[in-house]
Amino acid sequence: MRAGRNFLFYLRLHRDCSERLLARAGQVEPADLETSVEREHVRMRKMADEVAGEVHRMKAFVRLTPLGPFVLYGFLKPRHRIGEHICEHFARRNAGIIVVLGNGRESWICLCREGRIWRKWGNGLSESLEGLKFALKRDNGPQNEIGRDDLDVDHLWQIFYDSQCCPERENLAAFRRHMPRRDQEAAGMRLVNKKREASLEDFFGWV
Amino acid sequence: MVSLEKMARLAMECRFDSLGRSASEDAASLMPHSNTADCASAKIEIGGCGPKNSPTEMIAARVNEKKLAVLGEGTKHDVCASTFSPRSEPLPGICHAFTQDGRCVSLFKTLYTNVCSHQCGYCSNSAGCMNRGQAFSYTPEELARITLSLYRGNYIEGLFLSSGVGRDEERITEKMIETIRQLRQEHCFSGYIHLKILPGSSRSHIQEAMMLADRVSINLEAASASHLSEICSTKSYESDILQRQRYIQRLMTELRSEDGRAILPAGQTTQMVVGAGGESDEEIFQRMIFEYNEINVKRTYYSAFSPQQGTLLEARPAEALWRERRLYQMDWLYRVYGFRPSEIRYAFDESGFLPNSDPKMAIAREFLDLPLDPNRASYQQLLRVPGIGPKSARRIIARRKSQAILSRRELAILGVRIRKAAPFLKINGWTEATLERWQA
Repeated sequence: MRAGRNFLFYLRLHRDCSERLLARAGQVEPADLETSVEREHVRMRKMADEVAGEVHRMKAFVRLTPLGPFVLYGFLKPRHRIGEHICEHFARRNAGIIVVLGNGRESWICLCREGRIWRKWGNGLSESLEGLKFALKRDNGPQNEIGRDDLDVDHLWQIFYDSQCCPERENLAAFRRHMPRRDQEAAGMRLVNKKREASLEDFFGWV
Repeated sequence: MVSLEKMARLAMECRFDSLGRSASEDAASLMPHSNTADCASAKIEIGGCGPKNSPTEMIAARVNEKKLAVLGEGTKHDVCASTFSPRSEPLPGICHAFTQDGRCVSLFKTLYTNVCSHQCGYCSNSAGCMNRGQAFSYTPEELARITLSLYRGNYIEGLFLSSGVGRDEERITEKMIETIRQLRQEHCFSGYIHLKILPGSSRSHIQEAMMLADRVSINLEAASASHLSEICSTKSYESDILQRQRYIQRLMTELRSEDGRAILPAGQTTQMVVGAGGESDEEIFQRMIFEYNEINVKRTYYSAFSPQQGTLLEARPAEALWRERRLYQMDWLYRVYGFRPSEIRYAFDESGFLPNSDPKMAIAREFLDLPLDPNRASYQQLLRVPGIGPKSARRIIARRKSQAILSRRELAILGVRIRKAAPFLKINGWTEATLERWQA
């Protein structure tokens, strides 16, 4: 995954990106950076590409669960500072619905309405969802009280996903290359969740 | 910063969202608050065959899991998984998941029905198949609802809808169109839709489908009429397939959407079953050139033949998957790298088949007699070197404007696969040993 024209944007989101590095990157023309073989430029390019790759995979792997008619939430624990960007992407895709992404420590909340984005940061995902539940209940009355639904779209997806595999074409190397376990875990994908061992965060941070 | 209370109020005030006016109500209706532990079938609105269900009936109905699996499995040999569609406000295409065969699953690929009156020797749903399973069919409402649920949960980027022809292809086509009409018009679905045109569909139905879908396709299945007759006795190559492709081609130039934009942003594509009809790779290549130049298809897909139990071609051996891969490489050379057909012909052996080796390497051995200097070679010349693609060729040209390229390391950083390319390059006056060049 190449960062391309959004090079500076992606570089800024890298967990190791400092203000000094960003300032130096800002002095280089993006077109020159693309073809430069200088060590520092190559490093910057790698950092931006790393973020772009994670953004791409998180947009792909994060699954959203409805919590009443006004909220969609999902697990996200990225390595880089991309939480807000991913949350905004899903808010634009689901205009008029509050999207909450996060993990045990932090969460991002976005709403897209009439083209405008409203953002908020929170502590843990469960705390943000509780806050939203309370706010929606207070404003909307008990008739629209939100709760965890039992619509098992994930189960539907699993049936369909299994139906698409051709065993005669098995190519596990390609599968692992396209779906790195690390990114599946970051997005809380069920493929991995089934197998991984529980961590403390699962008990303290999860809703 | 905005408070949670304000966000909640703003969301509740929203009467329109990305899935249309009724989406919030729909979402509410899709979420019963009971805590049923029975996960044998998920609860979402599903109707049987019959009149449109009321929302209450829809909640109570259940998805038939076997139907979902069987109709999904019916499309697993359709290899198109692209979601690129240059619409006015495009949402980025994402490959959502990959199966263990390494293929992307970004679309809800399904059949509308697995009932079919055609006798295709490669298909387990064909009328002549001895092992035909239970017949299943969706209703437009339930298919639209499953698609919406999966889309909202970010499981899919859109819908890929194919079908058996049932007893009457016109009726099935109408149902398929009704499904995507509901998605687009009633639910304001902005995801990607790829619709298969059934052989023999009428021009008016094709036109209707084109107004709603991002991409339509009709499968050629074979490289010529004679090869098609080998694998399917009930389809006419000219009238059922080529004629329909020409309809689509003409309608694409004639029609405009209501806001004046061109329709069918992702164009039309086609697919061939490789190895079922006994055609050579050169014949497939000739058909591919015809499709790109005369029909203006965006892509041609190839699917290696795999025998299905109970079908007419059950005894025929499965086609090697490497053949499919070599055909894609050849397709890529023609479509993306701009190789001339006269060059690509050198990749075929005497019987018209591609050997199991990189066709670009075979062509390079034929045409690149002298090593190229990356500081002087043109873009087209660089593209003909194995290990250099369009992106790395562009980077080489941009780089050498400011500084000469003097080492293999520099080329590697620019994205060149140096082990493949080095035997064909003269870097800083040095050339690799020719032995490596011929063994690469």
